[in-house]
Amino acid sequence: MTRITIGQYYPSNSVVHHVDSRVKLAGTMFFITVLFFVNNFAGYGVAALFVLFVVKLAKVPVLFLLRGLRALLFIMVFMVVFNLFMTPGENVLFAVGILRVTTEGLVMAAQMALRLILLIAGSSILTLTTSPIHLTDGIEALLKPLKPLKVPAHDIAMMMTIALRFIPTLAEEMDKIMKAQKARGAELDTGGILKRAKSLLPVLVPLFVSAFKRADELATAMEARCYRGDVDRTRMKIMLITKRDIVATGVVAVFGVLLLLTRLL
Amino acid sequence: MIKTENIHFAYAGEGDTPQALKGITTSIAAGEFVAVLGHNGSGKSTLARHLNALLAPSQGVVWINGKDTTSMAHLWEIRQTVGMVFQNPDNQLIATVVEEDVAFGPENLGIPPQQIRETVDEMLGIVGMSEFASAAPHNLSGGQKQRVAIAGVLAMRPSCIVLDEPTAMLDPSGRREVISTIKTLNDEGITIILITHFMEEAAHAKRVIVMHEGEVVLDSDPRGVFSQVETMTRYELAVPPVTALAHMLREAGLDVAGDILTVDEFAADKTIQALLATPHDYPSQASDISISSHANPNQNSNETAPIIQIKALSHIYSQGSVFERTALSDINLNINQGEMVALIGHTGSGKSTLIQHLNGLLKPSMGQVIIQGEDIQVGKSNLKAIRQKVGLVFQYPEHQLFESTIYKDVAFGPTRMGLTEAEIDEHVRQALTTVGLGEEFYEKSPFELSGGQKRRAAIAGVLAMRPSILVLDEPAAGLDPKGRDEILAQIKYMHEVMGLTVILVSHSMDDAARLTDRIVVLNQGKLLYDGTPSKVFAQAEKLTQIGLDIPQMSHLATRLGMLNKAIPQDIFTIEGLASTIMGLSLKDKGIK
Repeated sequence: MTRITIGQYYPSNSVVHHVDSRVKLAGTMFFITVLFFVNNFAGYGVAALFVLFVVKLAKVPVLFLLRGLRALLFIMVFMVVFNLFMTPGENVLFAVGILRVTTEGLVMAAQMALRLILLIAGSSILTLTTSPIHLTDGIEALLKPLKPLKVPAHDIAMMMTIALRFIPTLAEEMDKIMKAQKARGAELDTGGILKRAKSLLPVLVPLFVSAFKRADELATAMEARCYRGDVDRTRMKIMLITKRDIVATGVVAVFGVLLLLTRLL
Repeated sequence: MIKTENIHFAYAGEGDTPQALKGITTSIAAGEFVAVLGHNGSGKSTLARHLNALLAPSQGVVWINGKDTTSMAHLWEIRQTVGMVFQNPDNQLIATVVEEDVAFGPENLGIPPQQIRETVDEMLGIVGMSEFASAAPHNLSGGQKQRVAIAGVLAMRPSCIVLDEPTAMLDPSGRREVISTIKTLNDEGITIILITHFMEEAAHAKRVIVMHEGEVVLDSDPRGVFSQVETMTRYELAVPPVTALAHMLREAGLDVAGDILTVDEFAADKTIQALLATPHDYPSQASDISISSHANPNQNSNETAPIIQIKALSHIYSQGSVFERTALSDINLNINQGEMVALIGHTGSGKSTLIQHLNGLLKPSMGQVIIQGEDIQVGKSNLKAIRQKVGLVFQYPEHQLFESTIYKDVAFGPTRMGLTEAEIDEHVRQALTTVGLGEEFYEKSPFELSGGQKRRAAIAGVLAMRPSILVLDEPAAGLDPKGRDEILAQIKYMHEVMGLTVILVSHSMDDAARLTDRIVVLNQGKLLYDGTPSKVFAQAEKLTQIGLDIPQMSHLATRLGMLNKAIPQDIFTIEGLASTIMGLSLKDKGIK
């Protein structure tokens, strides 16, 4: 579990960490979008430099970021191989049976790999530098304008908050139940897939029962504290756009223009 | 400020469910401190939920500051006026940061941000949690979480707080934290309604209401309620130990006041004072109180090898990472066949880590654990056989029940042992009989049982594997006095009649003193004391310092010992102290 760094928060006191979560969210979405407009290696070069620049600024170890990529290695290899063999082209480099590798295929595969790496790295920066709470607040704020379209911004944010709050509690509980059932002779980590799935029942049933009980009690506690959804609700923390956020927006915009200019090359 | 007029309430259910409240008429004035007592199912929690309109009476009216709780127009005003703190600290904290959680109430009320900020800081200060403002709730102790929950309620500026068994899931130091916070609030003029199973806590209140089967049966000051020892017993409740002692002495013909609530009052009682004023040459048994940390008090240990041998055991969590934490260091402990040992320590002292080594759930970082001569080696030994030999009952074991019927659930362990159907049946029946669950329970779903019954069914699930060693982690936690007594009596039976070696893990010195003749105290992963209860309780000061309690009778013995040296210092039960005092009184009469 600890090896997966995707979605993890890396606490630090960098400039990037302090940028408003709304700006970071919007910036990440912008980055992902413009990445799809890139059509040559120069463009990927610019994008890679930008990612490296932000990572350095965020004081996140590059190794930490790369470890996150490892989890998606399988998908990446699959995409590369698929593109390598399936891209039609004229300049055949070599052929194995019906599979032909062309120059176009090679270029396509390389670009695909770069795009994936940059996509993951870019969005990892968001989660690495933004605590889950700020991320939730940011999502709520950005979704708020969609309220007339019946997008339940507040409810989504509240659900995320509660999920974040209870993940450690339930993980602890699951560990406890597993130990308790092991003490009664349950074997949870042996046998085939079907046997293992079946042997998880004594863990999953109590876990679900407890989760439902917690949900019920939490709902009562929230009601007792006058919770009634998003009606006349205020927030203690006000999100303020500072100079830093304006600069960050400018930097991202400049990068976007540069990236689009590479298309002309 | 609170008035209930003849309220009735029944939970919706199949058929005719009995009424949870049967005509409650009472009123509570502003600034009062009321404790509500009653066994499980007596209607306490149901009444509490009526006071802030979480439930509406099916008959009768609840008035809060003159407003009817059923009127929707006043709903939020009522919930803001009467705040509520619940039993499970985990299930009432909403946010991932302490201060955000405290802000939740005022945010719901639509208070301006700047004002919320000020309120949150003020309330965290009142409950003494300011330094944890940006901590995550799951990293706090139970007592701290409960104080955050109180701050969260306070932040809505209520004039009354209802606390529904707020200390039931806490250890002694957590309980003290919460109770002292509650007392501070009451001193500041906030009305307190405290529902509890702990009689010592109720003794702090200015008024005690006793509920039984949905009715208020007693309503008086603590003195008036606790002096009625027989009545309280009839309602399946206990009285504080010192009150029970005074009652016992009165029964025996000694003219002790009947309404004693504290150790100080007992020591100041005229009859007791007179009795202790005359010097006696009563032989003091407490002459040699010496405690060495690795002493084994058992004399017969040279005959057979101990059933459990723990040698130089250390356990380090997340070794080699930034989260590295030493949970146990250099524990040496022998436990003999047929012994009953209490393992005591506050939360985080390493008790749970230690017991998980006894059946190979955890692997020692250093040292050895030897069960019946066999060195447990995780990964090599036959763990299944060891887990059958060492039955481990976790805290709140009822949370692991998963089958559709009690019978099937108890059969889970024996089935895993590869027994024949007839053998399994025999194991299950015997286990369920031992915990006092008859055939009428076999086909019931675990969810149909009461808390105490569920707990016993879960213990049967471990007993059915016929272990020779039984380890129980806080078996009585969260039960009402009657449930506690039942479970503890059954554990005593398993030890005395069935001959099991029992290790009882507990926060409660009272339980330990009542059941065992050897107490092992852990503190910060180290073995602090190992000896008979009298020897261990003699270290009252040190025990209190590390967050543990000593039995009230031990306190009293020390106190009386100051008045008269004839009172031996190694007494820790009500019966023991009663017979000592009666002995003095008879001697007095003999002299006359």
